[in-house]
Amino acid sequence: MLDEALIALADPTRRAILARLADGEARVTELAKPFAISLNSVSKHIRMLERAELVRRRRDGREHILALNPNGLDEAADWIEGQRSLWAWRLGRLDQALKEQL
Amino acid sequence: MSKTTATVRATHRYDASPERVFDAWLDPKVAGRFLFATPTGTMIKAQIDPCVGGHFTFTDRRPDMGDVEHVGTYLEIDRPRRLVFDFAVPAYEPTRTKITLEFAPDGDGCVLTLTHEGVFEEYVKQTEGGWSMILDGLERALA
Repeated sequence: MLDEALIALADPTRRAILARLADGEARVTELAKPFAISLNSVSKHIRMLERAELVRRRRDGREHILALNPNGLDEAADWIEGQRSLWAWRLGRLDQALKEQL
Repeated sequence: MSKTTATVRATHRYDASPERVFDAWLDPKVAGRFLFATPTGTMIKAQIDPCVGGHFTFTDRRPDMGDVEHVGTYLEIDRPRRLVFDFAVPAYEPTRTKITLEFAPDGDGCVLTLTHEGVFEEYVKQTEGGWSMILDGLERALA
């Protein structure tokens, strides 16, 4: 799922869709409006975001309403945090090594 | 196809001069204790050729993954201000990622800032759609 999330995030149109959904849920047609691409391509982007579980779809009558999945980025965020804390741990080990040199 | 990357940063203040902290990264005896170390691993090899274009190898023996070899090349050596190198873990992913270290004097010590660029490349697969793998703005998207 991390791979899917990172690939989904690798595209500026998909990031713009996520940014829009961060302000609240929206219909597919509303999401497509600001982009100079076809509704069909916007739908493809949305499907990728759904596969990556970054976006959820629900039906309201005949309308499809899309919303951000607030937990969808957790894995990617955890991975970044894991990298950061590994380096922080290593810098701490260096501190210890320098103190023992004295 | 443009290719940019995500960035991880870490900083630490040391009660030691920039020269001492800098030298620790290029001394295999000291570097082997922290660089590419993991909490559960044991560093079994730390080899350094400390010149621009010189290579290094660090092998961390991990209980769950066996011997994990890190190889890299020094790109900039500007003692005691800046050290830049790239590295990869060839067993997992040949793509190299880049580490930049900046050493700033701070009173009688120094503050080290580490920047790791390209940490996501290893996770990016070529997709059937042939999309350009643009990872800039990832941190913005995560915010």
